[in-house]
Amino acid sequence: MSYRIPMGPYHIALEEPYKIEVECEGEKIVGSSLKVGFNFRGIEWLAQKKNITQDIALLERVCGICSNVHSMSFCMTLERIGQIEVPLRGQYIRMVMAELERLHSHLLWAGVAAELIGFETLFMQIFRFRESVMDTLESISGNRVNYSMNRIGGVNRDIQDGAKVLAVAREIQNLTEHALIPLLTTDKSVRARCKGVGVLTKHDAIVYGAVGPVARASGIDTDIRRDQSYLAYDRVEFAVPVQTDGDVMSRVIVRALEILESCKIIEQCLDRMPEGGIHAGDIYSVAAGEAVMRIEAPRGEVFYYIASDGTDKPLRVKVRTPSFANIASVAAMVKGNNFADLPLIQAAVDPCYSCTDR
Amino acid sequence: MNAEQARREVGGVWEERRDGWWLAVPANLVPQVAAAMLRAEARFVTILAMPENDGLRVSWHWDVGGVLLSVAAHLSEGMLVPSIMDTYPGADWAERETRDYYAVAFEGRPDTPTLMLRDGDKPGVLLCKSGEKL
Repeated sequence: MSYRIPMGPYHIALEEPYKIEVECEGEKIVGSSLKVGFNFRGIEWLAQKKNITQDIALLERVCGICSNVHSMSFCMTLERIGQIEVPLRGQYIRMVMAELERLHSHLLWAGVAAELIGFETLFMQIFRFRESVMDTLESISGNRVNYSMNRIGGVNRDIQDGAKVLAVAREIQNLTEHALIPLLTTDKSVRARCKGVGVLTKHDAIVYGAVGPVARASGIDTDIRRDQSYLAYDRVEFAVPVQTDGDVMSRVIVRALEILESCKIIEQCLDRMPEGGIHAGDIYSVAAGEAVMRIEAPRGEVFYYIASDGTDKPLRVKVRTPSFANIASVAAMVKGNNFADLPLIQAAVDPCYSCTDR
Repeated sequence: MNAEQARREVGGVWEERRDGWWLAVPANLVPQVAAAMLRAEARFVTILAMPENDGLRVSWHWDVGGVLLSVAAHLSEGMLVPSIMDTYPGADWAERETRDYYAVAFEGRPDTPTLMLRDGDKPGVLLCKSGEKL
Protein backbone atom coordinates (compact mmCIF):
# COMPACT_ATOMS: atom_id res chain seq x y z
CA MET A 1 0.00 0.00 0.00
CA SER A 2 1.36 3.43 -0.87
CA TYR A 3 0.95 6.69 1.03
CA ARG A 4 1.71 10.32 0.21
CA ILE A 5 3.95 12.61 2.24
CA PRO A 6 3.84 16.36 1.58
CA MET A 7 7.00 18.36 2.25
CA GLY A 8 6.93 22.15 2.20
CA PRO A 9 6.27 24.82 1.16
CA TYR A 10 8.02 25.56 4.49
CA HIS A 11 10.34 22.89 5.81
CA ILE A 12 13.49 22.72 7.91
CA ALA A 13 15.51 21.29 5.00
CA LEU A 14 14.41 24.03 2.60
CA GLU A 15 15.59 27.61 2.93
CA GLU A 16 12.95 28.88 0.53
CA PRO A 17 9.31 28.00 -0.16
CA TYR A 18 8.82 24.99 -2.43
CA LYS A 19 6.63 21.92 -2.19
CA ILE A 20 7.24 18.32 -3.06
CA GLU A 21 4.74 15.57 -2.44
CA VAL A 22 6.16 12.08 -2.60
CA GLU A 23 4.35 8.79 -2.91
CA CYS A 24 6.02 6.06 -0.86
CA GLU A 25 5.76 2.31 -0.57
CA GLY A 26 7.34 1.58 2.78
CA GLU A 27 10.46 3.75 2.87
CA LYS A 28 10.81 3.79 -0.91
CA ILE A 29 9.72 6.75 -3.05
CA VAL A 30 7.71 5.58 -6.06
CA GLY A 31 6.48 8.93 -7.39
CA SER A 32 6.51 12.65 -6.74
CA SER A 33 4.98 15.95 -7.73
CA LEU A 34 6.60 19.36 -7.34
CA LYS A 35 5.14 22.81 -6.89
CA VAL A 36 6.97 26.11 -7.30
CA GLY A 37 5.85 29.70 -7.79
CA PHE A 38 5.59 30.73 -4.12
CA ASN A 39 8.17 33.48 -4.75
CA PHE A 40 6.74 34.70 -8.06
CA ARG A 41 7.50 38.43 -8.42
CA GLY A 42 6.72 39.02 -12.11
CA ILE A 43 10.25 40.18 -12.90
CA GLU A 44 9.85 39.66 -16.67
CA TRP A 45 6.72 41.85 -16.62
CA LEU A 46 8.45 44.49 -14.50
CA ALA A 47 11.51 44.50 -16.79
CA GLN A 48 9.30 45.49 -19.71
CA LYS A 49 7.92 48.47 -17.77
CA LYS A 50 11.29 49.95 -16.74
CA ASN A 51 14.18 51.33 -18.74
CA ILE A 52 17.29 49.25 -19.32
CA THR A 53 19.35 51.16 -16.73
CA GLN A 54 16.73 50.41 -14.06
CA ASP A 55 16.49 46.84 -15.33
CA ILE A 56 20.14 46.16 -14.48
CA ALA A 57 19.30 46.67 -10.80
CA LEU A 58 16.03 44.75 -11.13
CA LEU A 59 17.56 41.69 -12.78
CA GLU A 60 20.41 41.62 -10.28
CA ARG A 61 17.67 40.73 -7.79
CA VAL A 62 16.55 37.58 -9.60
CA CYS A 63 18.89 35.66 -7.30
CA GLY A 64 20.69 36.40 -4.05
CA ILE A 65 23.58 34.01 -4.70
CA CYS A 66 24.29 34.50 -8.41
CA SER A 67 23.11 38.12 -8.62
CA ASN A 68 26.13 39.18 -10.69
CA VAL A 69 25.47 36.67 -13.45
CA HIS A 70 21.98 38.08 -14.02
CA SER A 71 22.99 41.70 -14.41
CA MET A 72 25.93 40.54 -16.55
CA SER A 73 23.73 38.36 -18.78
CA PHE A 74 21.23 41.21 -19.20
CA CYS A 75 23.99 43.66 -20.18
CA MET A 76 25.67 41.14 -22.48
CA THR A 77 22.41 40.41 -24.31
CA LEU A 78 21.97 44.13 -24.95
CA GLU A 79 25.64 44.39 -25.99
CA ARG A 80 25.02 41.58 -28.49
CA ILE A 81 21.97 43.39 -29.92
CA GLY A 82 23.79 46.74 -30.08
CA GLN A 83 27.12 45.19 -31.16
CA ILE A 84 28.82 47.02 -28.29
CA GLU A 85 32.45 46.12 -27.65
CA VAL A 86 33.49 45.80 -23.99
CA PRO A 87 37.13 46.82 -23.32
CA LEU A 88 39.33 43.79 -22.62
CA ARG A 89 40.07 44.86 -19.04
CA GLY A 90 36.31 45.11 -18.43
CA GLN A 91 35.87 41.58 -19.81
CA TYR A 92 38.52 40.20 -17.46
CA ILE A 93 36.95 41.99 -14.48
CA ARG A 94 33.59 40.43 -15.37
CA MET A 95 35.28 37.02 -15.46
CA VAL A 96 36.90 37.52 -12.04
CA MET A 97 33.52 38.52 -10.59
CA ALA A 98 31.80 35.57 -12.28
CA GLU A 99 34.35 33.08 -10.97
CA LEU A 100 34.36 34.55 -7.45
CA GLU A 101 30.59 34.22 -7.54
CA ARG A 102 30.98 30.58 -8.63
CA LEU A 103 33.34 29.97 -5.68
CA HIS A 104 30.89 31.63 -3.30
CA SER A 105 27.98 29.59 -4.71
CA HIS A 106 29.79 26.23 -4.75
CA LEU A 107 31.23 26.74 -1.25
CA LEU A 108 27.80 27.71 0.07
CA TRP A 109 26.38 24.57 -1.50
CA ALA A 110 29.20 22.36 -0.14
CA GLY A 111 28.58 23.77 3.35
CA VAL A 112 24.83 23.13 3.17
CA ALA A 113 25.46 19.61 1.84
CA ALA A 114 27.95 18.92 4.64
CA GLU A 115 25.35 19.98 7.20
CA LEU A 116 22.66 17.79 5.60
CA ILE A 117 25.04 14.84 5.57
CA GLY A 118 25.58 15.46 9.29
CA PHE A 119 29.20 16.67 9.04
CA GLU A 120 29.01 19.86 11.15
CA THR A 121 32.77 20.43 11.38
CA LEU A 122 33.14 20.43 7.62
CA PHE A 123 30.19 22.82 7.33
CA MET A 124 31.94 25.28 9.70
CA GLN A 125 35.25 25.04 7.85
CA ILE A 126 33.68 25.56 4.43
CA PHE A 127 31.67 28.56 5.57
CA ARG A 128 34.81 30.12 7.03
CA PHE A 129 36.41 30.02 3.57
CA ARG A 130 33.24 31.15 1.87
CA GLU A 131 33.38 34.20 4.09
CA SER A 132 36.78 35.16 2.65
CA VAL A 133 35.26 35.02 -0.85
CA MET A 134 32.41 37.27 0.31
CA ASP A 135 34.95 39.69 1.79
CA THR A 136 36.80 39.74 -1.54
CA LEU A 137 33.63 40.45 -3.49
CA GLU A 138 32.91 43.26 -1.04
CA SER A 139 36.41 44.69 -1.36
CA ILE A 140 36.05 44.84 -5.17
CA SER A 141 32.47 46.05 -5.42
CA GLY A 142 31.59 47.54 -2.04
CA ASN A 143 28.74 45.04 -1.66
CA ARG A 144 28.39 41.53 -0.29
CA VAL A 145 25.33 40.40 -2.25
CA ASN A 146 24.15 42.63 -5.09
CA TYR A 147 27.47 43.89 -6.42
CA SER A 148 26.27 46.52 -8.93
CA MET A 149 29.35 45.83 -11.02
CA ASN A 150 27.75 45.61 -14.45
CA ARG A 151 26.74 48.33 -16.85
CA ILE A 152 25.94 48.15 -20.55
CA GLY A 153 29.34 48.11 -22.23
CA GLY A 154 31.46 47.05 -19.26
CA VAL A 155 31.79 47.31 -15.50
CA ASN A 156 31.41 50.10 -12.96
CA ARG A 157 34.51 49.45 -10.84
CA ASP A 158 38.08 48.40 -11.40
CA ILE A 159 39.93 45.81 -9.32
CA GLN A 160 42.21 47.86 -7.06
CA ASP A 161 43.99 45.11 -5.16
CA GLY A 162 44.60 42.13 -7.44
CA ALA A 163 47.11 40.61 -5.01
CA LYS A 164 44.42 40.24 -2.35
CA VAL A 165 42.06 38.52 -4.79
CA LEU A 166 44.87 36.21 -5.89
CA ALA A 167 45.73 35.30 -2.28
CA VAL A 168 42.12 34.31 -1.57
CA ALA A 169 41.89 32.25 -4.79
CA ARG A 170 45.09 30.39 -3.81
CA GLU A 171 43.79 29.84 -0.27
CA ILE A 172 40.53 28.34 -1.59
CA GLN A 173 42.45 26.23 -4.12
CA ASN A 174 44.67 24.89 -1.34
CA LEU A 175 41.71 24.10 0.92
CA THR A 176 39.86 22.35 -1.88
CA GLU A 177 42.85 20.30 -3.01
CA HIS A 178 44.08 19.26 0.41
CA ALA A 179 40.96 19.11 2.55
CA LEU A 180 37.66 19.37 0.71
CA ILE A 181 38.21 16.88 -2.11
CA PRO A 182 39.97 14.22 0.03
CA LEU A 183 37.25 14.51 2.70
CA LEU A 184 34.33 14.44 0.29
CA THR A 185 35.67 11.54 -1.75
CA THR A 186 37.12 9.26 0.93
CA ASP A 187 35.12 9.86 4.11
CA LYS A 188 32.95 6.81 4.81
CA SER A 189 29.97 8.82 6.08
CA VAL A 190 29.96 11.05 3.01
CA ARG A 191 30.25 8.09 0.65
CA ALA A 192 27.49 6.19 2.47
CA ARG A 193 25.13 9.15 2.12
CA CYS A 194 26.03 10.11 -1.47
CA LYS A 195 27.16 7.10 -3.50
CA GLY A 196 24.42 5.65 -5.70
CA VAL A 197 21.83 8.07 -4.25
CA GLY A 198 19.55 10.28 -6.37
CA VAL A 199 20.73 9.03 -9.76
CA LEU A 200 19.83 11.11 -12.83
CA THR A 201 20.66 9.15 -15.98
CA LYS A 202 22.14 10.88 -19.00
CA HIS A 203 18.90 10.34 -20.93
CA ASP A 204 16.82 11.90 -18.13
CA ALA A 205 19.26 14.81 -17.91
CA ILE A 206 18.71 15.46 -21.64
CA VAL A 207 14.90 15.23 -21.61
CA TYR A 208 14.53 17.24 -18.41
CA GLY A 209 16.99 19.80 -19.78
CA ALA A 210 19.37 19.62 -16.81
CA VAL A 211 22.21 22.13 -16.89
CA GLY A 212 25.52 22.93 -15.22
CA PRO A 213 27.01 20.65 -12.55
CA VAL A 214 23.82 18.52 -12.49
CA ALA A 215 24.13 17.79 -16.24
CA ARG A 216 27.90 17.33 -16.07
CA ALA A 217 27.50 14.83 -13.19
CA SER A 218 25.22 12.80 -15.50
CA GLY A 219 27.78 12.55 -18.29
CA ILE A 220 26.79 15.58 -20.40
CA ASP A 221 29.97 17.36 -21.44
CA THR A 222 28.62 20.90 -21.59
CA ASP A 223 29.89 24.31 -20.48
CA ILE A 224 28.87 27.49 -22.26
CA ARG A 225 32.15 29.18 -21.26
CA ARG A 226 33.96 26.67 -23.49
CA ASP A 227 31.29 25.73 -26.07
CA GLN A 228 30.12 29.26 -26.94
CA SER A 229 32.96 31.22 -25.48
CA TYR A 230 32.16 34.76 -24.30
CA LEU A 231 34.19 37.50 -22.58
CA ALA A 232 37.81 36.32 -22.62
CA TYR A 233 37.18 32.69 -21.66
CA ASP A 234 38.86 31.61 -24.89
CA ARG A 235 42.06 33.27 -23.64
CA VAL A 236 42.32 31.22 -20.44
CA GLU A 237 42.81 27.52 -19.86
CA PHE A 238 40.38 25.53 -17.80
CA ALA A 239 38.97 22.01 -17.71
CA VAL A 240 35.30 21.01 -17.66
CA PRO A 241 34.86 18.26 -15.05
CA VAL A 242 32.42 15.55 -16.11
CA GLN A 243 31.29 12.47 -14.15
CA THR A 244 29.11 9.66 -15.44
CA ASP A 245 27.40 8.05 -12.42
CA GLY A 246 24.73 10.76 -12.15
CA ASP A 247 24.41 10.37 -8.37
CA VAL A 248 24.80 12.83 -5.49
CA MET A 249 28.46 11.86 -5.17
CA SER A 250 29.09 12.80 -8.81
CA ARG A 251 27.48 16.22 -8.25
CA VAL A 252 29.71 16.69 -5.17
CA ILE A 253 32.83 15.82 -7.16
CA VAL A 254 31.94 17.99 -10.17
CA ARG A 255 31.40 21.06 -7.98
CA ALA A 256 34.56 20.44 -5.96
CA LEU A 257 36.62 20.16 -9.15
CA GLU A 258 34.96 23.28 -10.54
CA ILE A 259 36.14 25.22 -7.48
CA LEU A 260 39.72 24.39 -8.52
CA GLU A 261 39.06 25.46 -12.12
CA SER A 262 37.55 28.77 -11.01
CA CYS A 263 40.64 29.47 -8.89
CA LYS A 264 42.84 28.79 -11.92
CA ILE A 265 40.71 31.09 -14.10
CA ILE A 266 40.90 33.93 -11.54
CA GLU A 267 44.70 33.57 -11.37
CA GLN A 268 45.01 33.70 -15.18
CA CYS A 269 42.66 36.70 -15.43
CA LEU A 270 44.65 38.68 -12.88
CA ASP A 271 47.87 37.77 -14.65
CA ARG A 272 46.67 38.63 -18.18
CA MET A 273 44.43 41.60 -17.48
CA PRO A 274 45.70 44.55 -19.54
CA GLU A 275 45.67 48.17 -18.45
CA GLY A 276 42.96 50.32 -20.01
CA GLY A 277 39.31 51.27 -19.86
CA ILE A 278 36.69 49.19 -18.12
CA HIS A 279 33.57 50.29 -20.01
CA ALA A 280 32.42 51.74 -23.32
CA GLY A 281 30.89 54.96 -21.98
CA ASP A 282 27.33 55.88 -20.98
CA ILE A 283 24.79 53.80 -22.91
CA TYR A 284 21.08 54.26 -22.21
CA SER A 285 19.56 52.45 -25.20
CA VAL A 286 20.59 50.02 -27.92
CA ALA A 287 19.55 49.60 -31.55
CA ALA A 288 16.38 47.73 -32.45
CA GLY A 289 16.84 43.98 -32.60
CA GLU A 290 16.62 40.78 -30.61
CA ALA A 291 19.10 38.25 -29.27
CA VAL A 292 19.52 35.25 -27.05
CA MET A 293 22.52 35.11 -24.72
CA ARG A 294 23.55 32.09 -22.70
CA ILE A 295 25.99 32.35 -19.81
CA GLU A 296 27.42 29.62 -17.56
CA ALA A 297 26.18 30.60 -14.09
CA PRO A 298 27.38 28.68 -11.00
CA ARG A 299 24.30 26.43 -11.19
CA GLY A 300 24.43 26.08 -14.98
CA GLU A 301 23.32 27.77 -18.15
CA VAL A 302 21.32 30.99 -17.84
CA PHE A 303 19.20 31.84 -20.90
CA TYR A 304 18.40 35.51 -21.59
CA TYR A 305 16.34 36.81 -24.47
CA ILE A 306 15.76 40.52 -25.08
CA ALA A 307 13.83 42.25 -27.87
CA SER A 308 14.48 45.96 -28.32
CA ASP A 309 12.70 48.54 -30.48
CA GLY A 310 15.58 51.00 -30.12
CA THR A 311 14.07 52.91 -27.18
CA ASP A 312 15.31 52.68 -23.60
CA LYS A 313 12.53 50.20 -22.67
CA PRO A 314 12.83 46.57 -23.76
CA LEU A 315 9.92 45.00 -25.63
CA ARG A 316 10.51 41.62 -24.04
CA VAL A 317 12.88 40.18 -21.45
CA LYS A 318 12.93 36.43 -20.92
CA VAL A 319 14.98 34.79 -18.18
CA ARG A 320 15.36 31.01 -17.91
CA THR A 321 17.42 30.29 -14.82
CA PRO A 322 19.44 27.10 -14.25
CA SER A 323 17.37 26.11 -11.22
CA PHE A 324 14.19 26.28 -13.34
CA ALA A 325 15.76 23.63 -15.56
CA ASN A 326 17.27 21.52 -12.78
CA ILE A 327 14.55 21.40 -10.12
CA ALA A 328 12.06 19.62 -12.38
CA SER A 329 14.56 16.76 -12.74
CA VAL A 330 14.24 16.02 -8.99
CA ALA A 331 11.16 13.95 -9.95
CA ALA A 332 13.45 11.59 -11.89
CA MET A 333 16.16 11.60 -9.20
CA VAL A 334 14.03 10.62 -6.18
CA LYS A 335 12.25 7.65 -7.76
CA GLY A 336 13.36 4.40 -6.09
CA ASN A 337 15.26 6.19 -3.34
CA ASN A 338 14.65 6.09 0.41
CA PHE A 339 12.49 8.86 1.82
CA ALA A 340 15.29 9.76 4.27
CA ASP A 341 17.53 10.73 1.33
CA LEU A 342 15.01 13.19 -0.12
CA PRO A 343 16.46 16.36 1.53
CA LEU A 344 19.98 15.51 0.39
CA ILE A 345 18.88 14.68 -3.17
CA GLN A 346 17.09 18.03 -3.40
CA ALA A 347 20.08 19.86 -1.95
CA ALA A 348 22.42 18.14 -4.42
CA VAL A 349 20.65 20.00 -7.23
CA ASP A 350 21.69 23.25 -5.48
CA PRO A 351 18.20 24.59 -6.04
CA CYS A 352 17.38 28.28 -5.92
CA TYR A 353 13.66 28.98 -5.65
CA SER A 354 14.08 32.72 -5.89
CA CYS A 355 15.68 32.22 -9.34
CA THR A 356 13.09 29.67 -10.37
CA ASP A 357 10.11 31.80 -9.47
CA ARG A 358 11.49 35.21 -10.47
CA MET B 1 25.12 13.79 -33.30
CA ASN B 2 26.56 17.27 -33.66
CA ALA B 3 24.50 20.40 -34.32
CA GLU B 4 24.79 20.11 -38.10
CA GLN B 5 23.59 16.50 -38.06
CA ALA B 6 20.77 17.51 -35.71
CA ARG B 7 19.65 20.23 -38.13
CA ARG B 8 19.65 17.66 -40.95
CA GLU B 9 17.66 15.23 -38.76
CA VAL B 10 15.01 17.92 -38.23
CA GLY B 11 15.10 19.10 -41.86
CA GLY B 12 13.94 22.47 -43.25
CA VAL B 13 15.84 25.65 -44.08
CA TRP B 14 17.77 26.89 -41.06
CA GLU B 15 18.97 30.47 -40.68
CA GLU B 16 22.24 31.19 -38.88
CA ARG B 17 22.19 34.08 -36.40
CA ARG B 18 24.69 35.37 -33.86
CA ASP B 19 22.86 33.46 -31.13
CA GLY B 20 22.54 30.14 -32.98
CA TRP B 21 20.41 28.54 -35.72
CA TRP B 22 16.72 29.31 -36.25
CA LEU B 23 14.01 27.44 -38.16
CA ALA B 24 10.44 28.60 -38.84
CA VAL B 25 7.80 25.84 -38.75
CA PRO B 26 4.01 25.59 -38.44
CA ALA B 27 3.09 24.90 -34.80
CA ASN B 28 1.56 21.50 -35.60
CA LEU B 29 4.98 20.19 -36.68
CA VAL B 30 6.67 20.93 -33.34
CA PRO B 31 6.14 17.38 -31.93
CA GLN B 32 7.92 15.97 -35.00
CA VAL B 33 10.75 18.43 -34.48
CA ALA B 34 10.95 17.40 -30.80
CA ALA B 35 11.14 13.71 -31.76
CA ALA B 36 13.97 14.47 -34.22
CA MET B 37 15.76 16.53 -31.56
CA LEU B 38 15.56 13.62 -29.12
CA ARG B 39 17.06 11.28 -31.72
CA ALA B 40 19.90 13.80 -31.98
CA GLU B 41 20.26 13.76 -28.14
CA ALA B 42 19.52 17.49 -28.09
CA ARG B 43 19.14 18.92 -24.57
CA PHE B 44 15.87 20.79 -24.11
CA VAL B 45 16.51 24.42 -23.12
CA THR B 46 13.25 26.37 -22.91
CA ILE B 47 10.13 27.78 -24.60
CA LEU B 48 9.87 31.49 -25.33
CA ALA B 49 6.78 33.47 -26.31
CA MET B 50 6.87 36.95 -27.78
CA PRO B 51 4.00 39.14 -29.11
CA GLU B 52 4.33 39.57 -32.87
CA ASN B 53 2.08 40.78 -35.72
CA ASP B 54 -1.37 40.42 -34.10
CA GLY B 55 -0.40 37.16 -32.52
CA LEU B 56 2.46 35.43 -30.78
CA ARG B 57 5.71 33.92 -31.86
CA VAL B 58 6.50 30.86 -29.77
CA SER B 59 9.95 29.31 -30.01
CA TRP B 60 11.34 26.05 -28.67
CA HIS B 61 15.07 25.89 -27.94
CA TRP B 62 17.49 23.00 -27.79
CA ASP B 63 21.23 22.66 -27.25
CA VAL B 64 23.44 20.29 -29.21
CA GLY B 65 27.13 20.37 -28.29
CA GLY B 66 26.83 23.96 -27.10
CA VAL B 67 25.03 25.18 -30.25
CA LEU B 68 21.56 26.66 -29.75
CA LEU B 69 18.91 25.34 -32.15
CA SER B 70 15.68 27.38 -32.08
CA VAL B 71 12.43 26.48 -33.78
CA ALA B 72 9.77 29.19 -34.03
CA ALA B 73 6.08 29.12 -34.91
CA HIS B 74 3.66 32.00 -35.38
CA LEU B 75 0.36 31.66 -33.52
CA SER B 76 -2.78 33.59 -34.27
CA GLU B 77 -5.27 34.23 -31.47
CA GLY B 78 -6.92 31.15 -30.01
CA MET B 79 -4.63 28.72 -31.80
CA LEU B 80 -3.75 25.52 -29.94
CA VAL B 81 -0.15 24.40 -29.69
CA PRO B 82 0.74 20.71 -29.43
CA SER B 83 2.55 19.79 -26.22
CA ILE B 84 5.95 18.10 -26.37
CA MET B 85 6.09 17.02 -22.73
CA ASP B 86 5.61 13.36 -23.72
CA THR B 87 8.94 13.54 -25.55
CA TYR B 88 10.63 16.08 -23.29
CA PRO B 89 9.24 16.02 -19.70
CA GLY B 90 11.36 19.13 -19.06
CA ALA B 91 8.97 21.03 -21.33
CA ASP B 92 6.16 20.58 -18.79
CA TRP B 93 7.13 23.60 -16.66
CA ALA B 94 8.03 25.66 -19.74
CA GLU B 95 4.58 25.03 -21.26
CA ARG B 96 2.80 25.85 -18.00
CA GLU B 97 4.82 29.05 -17.62
CA THR B 98 4.05 30.05 -21.22
CA ARG B 99 0.36 29.58 -20.46
CA ASP B 100 0.71 31.67 -17.27
CA TYR B 101 2.49 34.49 -19.10
CA TYR B 102 0.79 34.57 -22.52
CA ALA B 103 -2.35 32.39 -22.16
CA VAL B 104 -1.05 29.94 -24.78
CA ALA B 105 -3.13 26.76 -24.79
CA PHE B 106 -1.18 23.52 -25.16
CA GLU B 107 -3.05 20.43 -26.33
CA GLY B 108 -2.20 16.80 -25.71
CA ARG B 109 -1.58 17.27 -22.00
CA PRO B 110 -3.84 15.75 -19.33
CA ASP B 111 -4.16 19.26 -17.88
CA THR B 112 -2.18 22.51 -17.73
CA PRO B 113 -2.08 23.66 -14.10
CA THR B 114 -0.64 27.06 -13.24
CA LEU B 115 3.08 27.15 -12.48
CA MET B 116 3.83 30.67 -11.27
CA LEU B 117 0.28 31.91 -10.78
CA ARG B 118 -2.15 30.78 -8.10
CA ASP B 119 -4.89 28.28 -8.89
CA GLY B 120 -7.77 30.16 -10.46
CA ASP B 121 -5.69 33.15 -11.63
CA LYS B 122 -6.41 34.29 -15.17
CA PRO B 123 -3.54 33.30 -17.48
CA GLY B 124 -1.73 35.93 -19.58
CA VAL B 125 0.04 37.97 -16.91
CA LEU B 126 2.57 39.44 -19.38
CA LEU B 127 -0.27 40.73 -21.54
CA CYS B 128 -1.57 42.87 -18.66
CA LYS B 129 -1.23 46.63 -18.87
CA SER B 130 0.26 48.57 -15.93
CA GLY B 131 -2.23 48.83 -13.08
CA GLU B 132 -4.55 46.18 -14.55
CA LYS B 133 -5.51 43.40 -12.13
CA LEU B 134 -5.32 39.75 -13.12
